[in-house]
Order: sequence, then structure tokens, then C-alpha cells
Amino acid sequence: MDRRYRIALTALFGMAVFSFWMWLFPQALNYQEQNQLFLFTRDYFSQRLVLPGGLADWLSEALVQLFYVRWAGALVLALLLVGLQLGVWKAAGKKRFLYAPSFIPSLLMLVYMGDVEVLVSYPVALLLAVALCPLFEKAQWHRLWLIPLGWWLVGPVVAVPVLLSVLRGRKWADWACLAWLAVTFFVEYRLLAAQYPLRDALFGLNYYRLVESLPALQPIIPAATLLCILLCGWKVQLRSPLAVETALAAVLAAGTWGGVKLAYDKDTFEVLAYDWLIRNENYQQVLSRAQRFQPRNAVSACSVNFCLFTQGQLESRLTEFYQCGTEGLVLPSIRDNLSDITSAELLWMMGMPNITLQYCFDLQESIQNGRKSGRFMKRIAECNIVNGWYDRAVKYLDMLEHSLFYRQWAREQKALIRDEAQVAAHPVYAYIRSVRFQEDFITNYNKLDLMMAILYNQNKNNFMAADYYSAWQRLSEREEGE
Amino acid sequence: MKQVLTLLAALFLVAACTGSTSYVEELPGIYPDYIGVTIPAGIAPLNFNLPEEYDRVFVRVTGSKGGELRVRGKWASFPVKKWQDLTRQNAGGMLSFTVLGRKDGQWTQWRDFILYVSDVPLEDYGITYRKMAPGYTTYSRIGIYQRDLHSFREDAIIESTLTPGQCMGCHTANATSSRQFLFHLRGPHGATYFQKDGEREWVTTKTDSTIGNVAYCYWHPDGRWMAGSINPVRQAFWTGDERTIEVFDLASDLVVMDMEDHSLVVDPRFTTKDYLETSPAFSPDGKTLYFCKAKAFDVPRQVDSVRYDLVRTTFDAATGTLGDIETVIPASAAGKSVSFPRPSYDGRWLMYNQADFSVFPIDHKEADLWLLDLETGETRPLEEVNSDFSESFHNWSSNSRWFLFSSRRADGLYVQVYLSSIDQNGHCTKPFVLPQKNPRKYYHDTLYSFNVPDFTHEKVDFRTSGTYREVFSDERIKATVKP
Repeated sequence: MDRRYRIALTALFGMAVFSFWMWLFPQALNYQEQNQLFLFTRDYFSQRLVLPGGLADWLSEALVQLFYVRWAGALVLALLLVGLQLGVWKAAGKKRFLYAPSFIPSLLMLVYMGDVEVLVSYPVALLLAVALCPLFEKAQWHRLWLIPLGWWLVGPVVAVPVLLSVLRGRKWADWACLAWLAVTFFVEYRLLAAQYPLRDALFGLNYYRLVESLPALQPIIPAATLLCILLCGWKVQLRSPLAVETALAAVLAAGTWGGVKLAYDKDTFEVLAYDWLIRNENYQQVLSRAQRFQPRNAVSACSVNFCLFTQGQLESRLTEFYQCGTEGLVLPSIRDNLSDITSAELLWMMGMPNITLQYCFDLQESIQNGRKSGRFMKRIAECNIVNGWYDRAVKYLDMLEHSLFYRQWAREQKALIRDEAQVAAHPVYAYIRSVRFQEDFITNYNKLDLMMAILYNQNKNNFMAADYYSAWQRLSEREEGE
Repeated sequence: MKQVLTLLAALFLVAACTGSTSYVEELPGIYPDYIGVTIPAGIAPLNFNLPEEYDRVFVRVTGSKGGELRVRGKWASFPVKKWQDLTRQNAGGMLSFTVLGRKDGQWTQWRDFILYVSDVPLEDYGITYRKMAPGYTTYSRIGIYQRDLHSFREDAIIESTLTPGQCMGCHTANATSSRQFLFHLRGPHGATYFQKDGEREWVTTKTDSTIGNVAYCYWHPDGRWMAGSINPVRQAFWTGDERTIEVFDLASDLVVMDMEDHSLVVDPRFTTKDYLETSPAFSPDGKTLYFCKAKAFDVPRQVDSVRYDLVRTTFDAATGTLGDIETVIPASAAGKSVSFPRPSYDGRWLMYNQADFSVFPIDHKEADLWLLDLETGETRPLEEVNSDFSESFHNWSSNSRWFLFSSRRADGLYVQVYLSSIDQNGHCTKPFVLPQKNPRKYYHDTLYSFNVPDFTHEKVDFRTSGTYREVFSDERIKATVKP
């Protein structure tokens, strides 16, 4: 195929991927970013490197922190997937024929990333593994040390270049590499990952956020990558290569469209979109989206109701949107890393910093791969500042100071808490302190409406507590009526 | 050449340390506060940091019985072997520290400080503890670890990554022995793990006649029996800015388990609904079982009314029968609450926690350590070791001359482990925090608390291979109730 055509096709693909994340699913970028906290410290680097696949993990987290800026996130993912496609094409060798199959791994990856728990370290690791293919083919006996090093740095996807070199070489030394790969795995497992189940170590410790889960596509994509590399190098006589390639590209595009339709759960991405918009204080946009489509679950109801409040419409438009009782106003404590974010946000504004602290702590601890969160840690630090627990706040602020996008904020807060008068005069902290409970008692989650009433009665400026109390009564009556 | 370079370096150091050094008649503000503490010979180096504004430190340690050690760097970091040799040489004596710090190019020398080296050895390999975020209802990473007290080496015994989705209870050894221990897993595949001389068992301790699985456990010295309290634990949360969490038991009962046939001794006197029984601990002769007992209240509404007394009963190790209950410390009458009684293994003392109410001192700022003299019956707060923050879980070394305890004194939230020694008269020395290679960095950066620390006489040997399969197979020995 003509080089210009190839460049055009790759550029088109890159632009499509960029647009995909930039305008269709930017909420996924936000979700990825808020479930990690990349730190520019040696300790952070070494903590990643103690596990197989650690370098890919570290690199991916360095990239994911950029997702804080929407266009940067979209650009990073576009470059990653384009890089993977070009890597597959390059790995096919000098005698390459079919270009379109080189897109298949990237397109599969795009579909797979409809599962928001897929970590960016997975495409990063695969890209690095594919980039190693030419090296492995030339490496000969150097594979003896390249295989352990590769597994350590990128994880089990290193099997792709190993298998490719074996399939292309087919000498006894190549087949011996497979045995060496197995030995490497067991040795590295015992040395580096003995505190993980064998299956997790075999399929990658840091490719997927959830524990006890192995999505089918995770082992399929590396296998497909290997096949595509071989397919690109498959010598086939075509009468009209351009027409065949174009037809293949069209089929792949249609397949990807279908895959995206299946893999990108509408309700999940809508809830993620609400969260992303609320984080950026685009409350009106949440209401606009909800008017078009609103998932019928408590998390979406909570987000929409909160946005109604911010627009002063909680009372007037409450019944226009999906409701599920009082749970849709404030969610109870749920052990996941998403559901309680809006509840934590509104309880903070209402004057319940301790419940916010609890929710944010649990949200952060619910990130199943054990990562921290810049967004949650920031709010945890704020709750500690409001409570006057500055020693604890400094612990979190120092950590945030090692990040890229929370650094400036952390420095400002550290400067602030050196002077109690400044904290007392700070608009947010002073406000929360003025509306919070003046008495210390045990929180009663079953009587949150009464707690809102207490807040309002002790400070009549706390109109949020009053609005939510009224909404609570209306929804309670409605529930009883039903 | 090498000698010339060494000489030049020495001259430079002398010049740096003497040329423009100012002397202040104050003790250096070192972190951790190791000034005046008593340490066992052979312990890991007590590295320390100067305040952050000092970019270099020079330390000279001189032993009262001989020996000297000099270090310099960003913080005081002593070579392990040389430090151990120095402390062993000075057992029963003291170490004098000369500290110089550099700030803005200027050196300051502070008044020398002293550190005492006990002549009583700490014979144990190290300590075990659980590390987890001091949080609320969820955790992401949790694990049981062992730390060599003679170096900085920490090894994982088991981490939650190996048994995903299961919460992990605390490691409980039989009188610091690594030969017999247990820990709990909680979750859909929960069980209690028992290991004795390398033999492994996964046991479900819940029966039809009991209200749940055993939680707080204590081994009988002969290893056949294990006392445990069954506690459906819940949390409540405060609204003010003084405290956050209140942990309480919806109910709690006391049972004794016979490890020979995994049967539970369920005595109705120790499983009443009107009273809460918890935190059992056998005396070292195995004839007495101490525990805490409180009148039950409607919780969490009346959680601040729940106050535990320290009580005891006799125990017959031949039959597993319990005797009459006798109150040892009627704390509730004084408006206080006792928890975690721990008799020393020489039978001389009993250490416990006392707070204003509740059974979970870790969340009570006022919680302190108290010491009961089992010979005289006198009890007193351990003012030598207590702080303004919570002191909670504690345990004895195998020779009962050292003890460790958890404290939140660093920042009010993150729990650290402190060690102290006790003499024949019950006087305790100033405690010191568990040494770390770079203490300020370690303790400031960590997001983990050290829970339920205990000494371990030898290194714990736990086999991780096969654990995942055993846990998720749900193959369990089911405990029964002794007829």
C-alpha cells in the first residue's frame, strides 16, 4: 500500500481516537485521573518497580496524571493507540503487505477501554512489548536476560515479542525460549509477587483495577496483537490492494463502532459524566443531560438533585427528574470509589465535614488497586483543616505537593495553616466552620433529615440544609404514598 | 592517594565543624525524640532527623563503657553492625550524643544528650503488626508484617492482595512464639487460620449456638485452649472536631476453644445478653482467665454509657471449665472503662487500657496504659509512657522486661509502635518509637497505622503458596459446641 495512504489512514485514526475521548467520553479521563495520585518521588518509582510490570505502570500513571487536562488526556490516549498500531506494523518486519490489520489491536483496546477499570498501564505495556519485537528477533542469546528484564518491566505481555521471535525463528534455541519464559515467570512470581494469586501474576498485576476479575479481552488482545503482526507480514497477491485495504478498514471501523456500542455502558458513562461535570462545577450541563437521558439509579438521582440545588431549583423541579426516595438526596455509605462522591460534596457544603471525611476516606480506600486519589486526598486535607487537625492535614498536603496538578494548591494550604487567623478568615473553611454542628454527637444516618434540621436551626443562613430538609420530607411522603 | 583524600576530608570536616560552629545550651530538636530513652543492646540503630531546615548533621556517639561512632549526612544514620557492637559494649551504661547541624551554611552544636542501654536483653527476634489505613469502613491494602528489631528489615507475613476481598484480622501468637499463632480473615471466604509447628488449619468458629466468629483471641499457655470473644463490631461517627469514630460491639460473648477437636466451651454465664464480655487473656500459669465485662446498653445511642470492668475467672485446663467471676478492677463504678488486659509472662504485672467509656481505646484520646501489680493488687497509670493522645494495644516481650504499645501521639491519627522497659519495681523507662532507617520520612510519608503489635520470639514462617487456593476453596473445619 502506498505510504501516503498509510500515513493518511493512521492520521485519520489518531484524529478519530482523539475526538472519541475529547468529545464523546471525556468523563472516562476524569475517572482514570481521580483514581490515582502520581507522585514525583523516588519512593513512588521504586514502589511501582517492585512488581512485575512496574515500569509500564509507572509510565502510565505519569501519563494519566495529565488527564486532569481534558485535551491532554485525549491526546495521550490517541498517541498511545496510534503508537500501538505503528508498533504492530513495524513489528511485522521489512516485508509487510496488509496495513489494515495493524489497527486491530488498537481498535480492540479502544473497545476494551469501555470498561473504565482497564488501566492505561495495559496499553502502555502492550505498546512497549510490541516495540520490543524487532529487538527480540535480533537478540538471539541475549533473550536470556531480555525475557526476565522484559517481564519485570512490562509484565506478562512480554510474551508477545518472545512468541513472535519463536514463531519466526523456529529453531531449537527459539523453542527453548518458551521454557525460559516459564522459568522466568515462576522465579519472578516467587521473588516479586508472592503476595498475589498466581493467576493475577500470570495475566498482569497492574493492567486492571479490580481484584478477582479477569475480563476476557485481557488475554485476547495480546494474542490478537501477535496474530496481527503475522497477518501484516502475510504475503498475499491482491489484484487491487487499495480496494481490499479500504474494505478491510471499513469493516474494522464498523466492527469497532459495534464494539463500542456494546462495551460502553450508557448508564455507567452517564453517571461518570455527572461526576465529571460536578467536579468542574458545570451543574447546568448535568441538568441538560438529565433532561435528555437520566439513568434510573440512586447515584444519578443524587447528582441531579445536587445540581438542582445549586441552581436554586431543588424545590420547584424535584419531581421533573427520576427519584428513588431519600437515597437519591444523600446516599448512604457505599463501598466503592464512585457512588458517594456527590454525597460527600453536598454534605461538605451543608456543614457535615466529618461525614465528608468518612466518605472521602472510604472512596479513596475503595480504589481496589490500592492507589490514592488526588481529588479525594484534597478533600480529606480540607476536612482536617476545618477540624483544626493541622498535623494530619500537613501529611496529606506534603504528599499532594509531590504531584503535578495539586502542588500549587497544597502549597497554598500549607502556608495558610501556619496562621490560624488566616484559616479563620478563609472563605470556605470559615463558612464550613460557621455552619457545621456546634455540638458533638453520634451521627444518625437513618435520621439525616433531623441532622439537617439541627444544622438549619443553629444557623439560619444554612439554606442548603433547609432546602434538603424540605426535599427529604417531600420524598419521604412520596415513598410512603407509594 | 586514598589516605591523602581521607586526611583532606577529615580536615574539611573539622574546619566545617569548628570554624564557624555556634554552641547553644539546649538539647537538639531531634525526631523521633530519643533523648533519655532506654534501649536494649543490639536493637536496630536509632537513626534520627534534625528539623527540616538543617541540611547536614554530624553526630558523635560515645559509650560510657567505651567505643565511639561518628556519622554525618542528611540525617543521623548509623551503620547497623557498628551500632549494635557499640550498644552491646555499653549494655548497662549509656551513650552520649554530640550533635551538630548545618543551616544556611552555619553549623550549630547543641548540648550533648544521653541514651541509656539496658542490661536487660530483649531476646525476641522482632515484632509483628498489622498495617492498614486508619480509616472508616473500607481498606484498599492491609497486611500482617514482621519486623526484625535488630535491623530495619520488614517482611510481609500475608497481605490482602493474596486473598482479595477478605479483610484481615490480627496475628495472635502464643506468648510471642512463632510455633503457634492464628489470624482471622473476614469476608465471603472468611475463616480463622491456625498454624502450629507448620501445620495449617482453616476453621470456621461460628456455630449455631454462638453469635458469630471469634475475634479477640488469647492462647492458653499449653496451646490446647484458646479463649476468644465474639464481637459483632460496629462503627459510629461523631459530628464534632474532637473525635471521629466510635467503635462498639452490638453484643459480645466469651468462649473457649479446644484446639484438639475444635469445640467451643459455651458457658451461659459468659454469653448473657445483658452483659458484654470481651478481651480475654490467660494468666501465664493458665489457671486464670482475665477479661472485660460491661453492662449492655442500647448502642450507639447510649454508647458513652458502656463501661467495662476487669474481671477474672478460674480455668481448669483439664476440662476447659470456667469458674466464678470475680471483679478485679471495678472501673465502671469510677466512671471509667477497661480494655485489653495483658498479664506479663512472668506473672508479675497486668497491663491494660483505661478510657472514659467503650472497649476500643484507639479512638479515645484520653485512653492510657495502666499497670496492675498482681502481687499487691495496686494499680496506677503509666505516666512515664502515657501521652495526651490515645495509648492502646500493648504486649509483653517474652522475658516480660520489655513491652510495646500503640500510640497516636505523633499526629492524633496515625498509630505508631513504641517500646519501653520495666524494672522489678514496675518503673518504666521513657518509650521510644520503633526505629526506622529515615524516621521522619518513613513516619510522615506512610498512610498506614500499626495495629495490634506483639513481640515474636522467632521469625514467623508462613507459606504463601497454596494460601489463595485454600482460602477460596472454602474447605473449612467447622467448630462445634462442646457438649
